[in-house]
Amino acid sequence: MNDIIVAILRSGTPLIYVTMAGVVAQRAGIWNLGLEGLMIIGACAAIVGIVLTGSFALAMLIAIILCVLASVLLWFVIEKLKANPIIAGLGLTGLGLGGTSLAVQAIFGSQAAVTAPFGVPKLGPAFGPFGVLSIFVLAMPFAVFAMWVLLRRTRFGLRLAASGEHPFAARSVGANPSRMRLAALIIGGVLCAIGGAELAAGSLQIYAQNMTAGRGFMAFAAVIFGAAHPIGSAFAALFFSVVGALGIRAQLLFGDAVPHDLLLALPYIATVFGVWLSGKLRGGRKAATGFAELRDY
Amino acid sequence: MTGKFVSVLRGLIFIVIALALCGVIFQFAGYSALGMFHSVAEGAFFRPGAWQQSLRWALPLFITAAGVGISFRAGYFNIGAQGQFYLGAICAAFMAEWLNGAPAFVVIPACFAAGMTGGALWALWPGLLRLQSGTDEVITTLMGNFLAGLLLVYVTAGPLKDPSGSGQQASSRPLAAAYRISDSLGLSPTIIVIAALVALAMWLLVNRTAFGVLASLAGRNPTMVQWQGATVWRLGLSSFLISGALAGLAGTIEFMGPNGRLAGGFLPTHGFTAILIALVANLSVVGTAFVSVFFGGLASAALYLPIMAGLPSAAIEIINAAIALFITAKSGFVDRLLAFGRRSA
Repeated sequence: MNDIIVAILRSGTPLIYVTMAGVVAQRAGIWNLGLEGLMIIGACAAIVGIVLTGSFALAMLIAIILCVLASVLLWFVIEKLKANPIIAGLGLTGLGLGGTSLAVQAIFGSQAAVTAPFGVPKLGPAFGPFGVLSIFVLAMPFAVFAMWVLLRRTRFGLRLAASGEHPFAARSVGANPSRMRLAALIIGGVLCAIGGAELAAGSLQIYAQNMTAGRGFMAFAAVIFGAAHPIGSAFAALFFSVVGALGIRAQLLFGDAVPHDLLLALPYIATVFGVWLSGKLRGGRKAATGFAELRDY
Repeated sequence: MTGKFVSVLRGLIFIVIALALCGVIFQFAGYSALGMFHSVAEGAFFRPGAWQQSLRWALPLFITAAGVGISFRAGYFNIGAQGQFYLGAICAAFMAEWLNGAPAFVVIPACFAAGMTGGALWALWPGLLRLQSGTDEVITTLMGNFLAGLLLVYVTAGPLKDPSGSGQQASSRPLAAAYRISDSLGLSPTIIVIAALVALAMWLLVNRTAFGVLASLAGRNPTMVQWQGATVWRLGLSSFLISGALAGLAGTIEFMGPNGRLAGGFLPTHGFTAILIALVANLSVVGTAFVSVFFGGLASAALYLPIMAGLPSAAIEIINAAIALFITAKSGFVDRLLAFGRRSA
């Protein structure tokens, strides 16, 4: 049983951090489809940083700086150049995936996987069977709780939500929605750096090209499934990880009797169902984007 | 200066900005930016045989992009081209498997029909959800892409698996040579004729039919179209179905032409590139044709770079991504710059 919990926490923790990044952006009114790109930047920078500097703290610093810079670029394009957030987010994802491949090729001369001598510090023997997990796993529930407090119990969080839902109301109390979104994306950048670092350096200590393999998009799905509520979305991400871990286990136990790909499809089907249901319950549609705004006549 | 001309100019300015960002990234990673762009241009258009290769990539991309343009025009943000493309290829492959042994003049049209139907059906459910319950099509079509990707992995490793295949990537049994519509280089009269027919049909649809006019109106102002008595349902579903069918058609062409078989996760960026093409072309059909050739060139350069120039193909991914980042941008500064010309004229 313990090993299943360890497996779920290992795959769930990176996803939950990145989901929190999506939640804070969503609250501020930005559909962040750049999560995948930010996560791979975090993963790559953490491992390459450890290899090059020999220090975990320095590597995390590099990862955070790069993810925050990429987030600021996204903010600039969306807010200052009025680009469509969805297309720009997908662009940032492509930039992250391509940029990390290019950087690894430039630094190591090949695109082979990079192995680091050590990773994120572990919890240690005091935690028994869970000692193999990284400190980011232990910090994760606190991060989720802190996100809830930030969004629901502070003046900053309320202004952030107002910027997303009703920018005019936010402006009327003296908040600058554009600047609130910048803050949201910067917080998201830090969280994506942690999520990416946990993915690459949390247990395996390996960075491989495109290793995020759609987890950023899965985090986005968790944000939507959890209605952008920090705790709801965290549980959605956890649910996705449980399904993934069960899928692997079912394949080990029953072989091909349970189609593995069908289990992996469950989170996406659940998201579609959840979005459909929440639309039904809420009634009326909250548009992602007025596509008409994209075009000029 | 017409509004159209200004928007083309603005697009070009942002593409230059995007390329400048790429140059900075290349330089930062330790490559010569000028050398990189030179090799990309060479790989795309200026080496012997480059045009054939660029067109090979451009034609399927054009077909998908033309469909994306239709649904964007009607105001539906259908980003599911990738999934619809996969479903087209999968359905065509099943049809070819089922009819295996029948004469080619039966099998080939049947595969095309199956592919287009598959793509259209994969666009139908997000369309229905959107029109019936207002479920956001961005999410449903994005999830649809992942589901289609998993389905492709499942069929290539399961029902359609090639038992003789080895290696990590499972693939389907190869299509019999008699049913192929091109060799592996991927440029044949059949494909060119199909693309030309699609271009003609889409141009007529957009510019010469009530559907085209109403769709463009619906995209800009749905309420107004409703008042004019047009059925939003018919308009909306048609645009989802047309874009899905065209993406499915492109999937069928890739399967029956250059690829000749299915592999798990093949051409993973086809849909994204097609969306970019439609946006860069500002959703015009003629523009889409020209822009497809440019992106087709980039796709062919992605294969050329690592082999002939010793440069990473990730460079092309970065160029595409940077263009995506900026292509929908509007800037007061650039607009003032463009307006300056208008005032002085």
